[in-house]
Amino acid sequence: MATLSVEERTALQDAVIRLLADKSTEADVRRVMESERGYDPELWSQLADMGVAGLIVEEAFGGAGAGPLELEAVTEAAGAVLLCSPLLASSVLAAALLQALGDEEAKARLLPGIAAGTLIATVALTGDTGTWTEEGVSVTASKAAPPLLAGAANYVIHGQNADVLLVLARAEDGLAVFEVDPKDSGVTIEALPTFDHTLRLARVVFDKAAGRRLQGKAGAAMRSALDMALVALAGEQAGASQRCLEFTIDYAKNRYQFGRAIGSFQAIKHMAADLLLETESAISAARHAAAKLAEGAKDADAAVSLAAFACAEAFTRTTADAIQMHGGIAFTWDHPAHLYLRRARADAQLFGAPAVHRERFLQALGA
Amino acid sequence: MADGNPVNDTALRDEVRAWLAANWKELPKQKAGAGGAGWTVSEEQKAWLAKVVEARWAAPRWPEEWYGRGLQDAQARIIEREFAAVGAPGAGQDRTNLWANTLLAGGSEALKQKLIGPLLRQEVGMCLLYSEPGAGSDLAGIRTRAERSGDHYVVNGQKVWTSGAATADYGMLIARTDWDVPKHAGISFFFLPMKQPGVEVRPLRQITDESHFNEVFITDAIVPEENLLKGLGEGWGVLQTALAYERSVMGEGARGPRSGAAESKTEEPLIALAREAGRLGDPLLRQDLARVIGYKRLNALNTARAKANLAQGTSSPVMSLGKLAMSRILHEEARVRAEILGAGSLLEGANYPRAEDANFLALNAYFTSIGGGTDQIQRNIIGERVLGLPKEPEVDRDIPFRDVKSGR
Repeated sequence: MATLSVEERTALQDAVIRLLADKSTEADVRRVMESERGYDPELWSQLADMGVAGLIVEEAFGGAGAGPLELEAVTEAAGAVLLCSPLLASSVLAAALLQALGDEEAKARLLPGIAAGTLIATVALTGDTGTWTEEGVSVTASKAAPPLLAGAANYVIHGQNADVLLVLARAEDGLAVFEVDPKDSGVTIEALPTFDHTLRLARVVFDKAAGRRLQGKAGAAMRSALDMALVALAGEQAGASQRCLEFTIDYAKNRYQFGRAIGSFQAIKHMAADLLLETESAISAARHAAAKLAEGAKDADAAVSLAAFACAEAFTRTTADAIQMHGGIAFTWDHPAHLYLRRARADAQLFGAPAVHRERFLQALGA
Repeated sequence: MADGNPVNDTALRDEVRAWLAANWKELPKQKAGAGGAGWTVSEEQKAWLAKVVEARWAAPRWPEEWYGRGLQDAQARIIEREFAAVGAPGAGQDRTNLWANTLLAGGSEALKQKLIGPLLRQEVGMCLLYSEPGAGSDLAGIRTRAERSGDHYVVNGQKVWTSGAATADYGMLIARTDWDVPKHAGISFFFLPMKQPGVEVRPLRQITDESHFNEVFITDAIVPEENLLKGLGEGWGVLQTALAYERSVMGEGARGPRSGAAESKTEEPLIALAREAGRLGDPLLRQDLARVIGYKRLNALNTARAKANLAQGTSSPVMSLGKLAMSRILHEEARVRAEILGAGSLLEGANYPRAEDANFLALNAYFTSIGGGTDQIQRNIIGERVLGLPKEPEVDRDIPFRDVKSGR
């Protein structure tokens, strides 16, 4: 896949940082996270104009034709401000799944809208077990024409906002991807209350819902799309962890107790040093995974799974310790620290928990 | 060159290659000297180093009057790469030779004339006389004293954690020369001649049952005034320069197992050990393995990123994290080794090499988490110098050292 130059990548990242500094402030995030859609359509459209919605979409379908490196750079910036958007659902998971499947007709039908930000797509994968694997799929597809889908998909990101659902389902001849219209009478979408208010999840029940079967190898395409999503998520975790550490250090320099800045106490200073190690390691891991995936390296598996568990744990620990280091102020709703902790806890479960990625990492090393 | 005859990179590379082709042949294998137990430079190696120094390859960044060529870093690296390519030692000493660099930066003319050459040729043995029983993390709290007497200084005190002391010709010594100024201001830096009656070296027995370090008892030892580096009371500054050289070559790695029992070279040693012990299927152990191997990979990635940043001219906070990361890796790796072995780790000795290794590594991990600045001091440094957090108030900073409280 075509890749931007380092300069172009940096320029894109800078542009995203500037736009988000203006349009995704803490006040914006708080307003949008309590809105029904859970994202700001105007900001999403601006991001799309900038090329973010179609970042990894092939140029032939209106995208930027970029890859994991550019995606990771953008999600670092998005994570830092806890951007509320359908980026992960539509522009990463759905776009990557469609491109990995290689059903040219479906790509031509759906990718231009995804790239323009005008069509929100998402992937319905795991069932009620909440495991993002082939075994976790619990929707089935009948042999009828068109095939009818039955069963439930859970934890579907932005399912309630989707204009099109890409559903993993078991057909008679194995796993396949079906394109489903969420307005089909056989589809019931239940918006779920999320612990991370900046996230939108839905449970989608299919009862004789009409599906259009897409061509391509569903299992491999699903794993490929998940790898792309894991790299995006790792970037988000690294960027958010770094921002959270920054404002925590800032607080430790300015909060005085016992006549001293609390950051002068070793109890705080040593926690900060440990968090810097976690956060810098997360950044290294996320960028390394992006680079390995971009070059299609044989050891990309190990790099992606390492980033998945290292970034998840770095972000979780940084946000958890950040609250402790702030003390009482961060126990209040009005302080942003809990928003980062909520995002960290959510990100650590999406697409598999750290333990799952550790096991995959070990297998990738041949053990 | 500094005299206005700059060579281009290609000509320089050709010159080094031709010289190496004409002069370099493999040195006989050295016996593995145990850490600081002895000064183990063979005659062949000394002869080779003498050639390298004479040809001005040892310290090309230095000026011509000191065996150098006045080259910029980029060209000096060309020379180092050519030496590395054939496995020849002795190049890059202007970057890595702690002793010679410290001396060149702060030594008197007489001392430089006397020792720079021998140091580059490794003809003289050296050791460090920094830490004391009462001055570990708080190195500026040293109490070894040097008092002027005619054209020399008389030194009294006790130093510790000195490797190579028994065979060293000189020790880089920090001693207090003024007790009436604050602690950092009263320290001076000397090259102390080690082979004299007032210097007694006693080996220390470590928790690993090895002896890589010594205690050095100094009683009325003599150091000539020309062996003072920089001025009186300027020793703390010299020390910072010396420590910077030391750190720049440390932390690249740590000792591995010592039993000599074969370990896998094709896969992660921990995975191979678990496989050998029939434990690789244990899901709890697998989580631990992934965690520790992950730490190792992350540290390598951090180091690579820091080096890439440096190459681009941007500094990176990541470099200072390496030692802290390495401490965790070593302690955790040793813990998992013991976990793999289970009851097998109860034993020791040559007949039980896996247990020997696991237990040795568990103890030797402290070498990294205490030596060269404890993890706690390292966290202070990261907090203060990298993150910009304020220092702890220091009750002894601005008062005469004479009035500083000590525990003894």
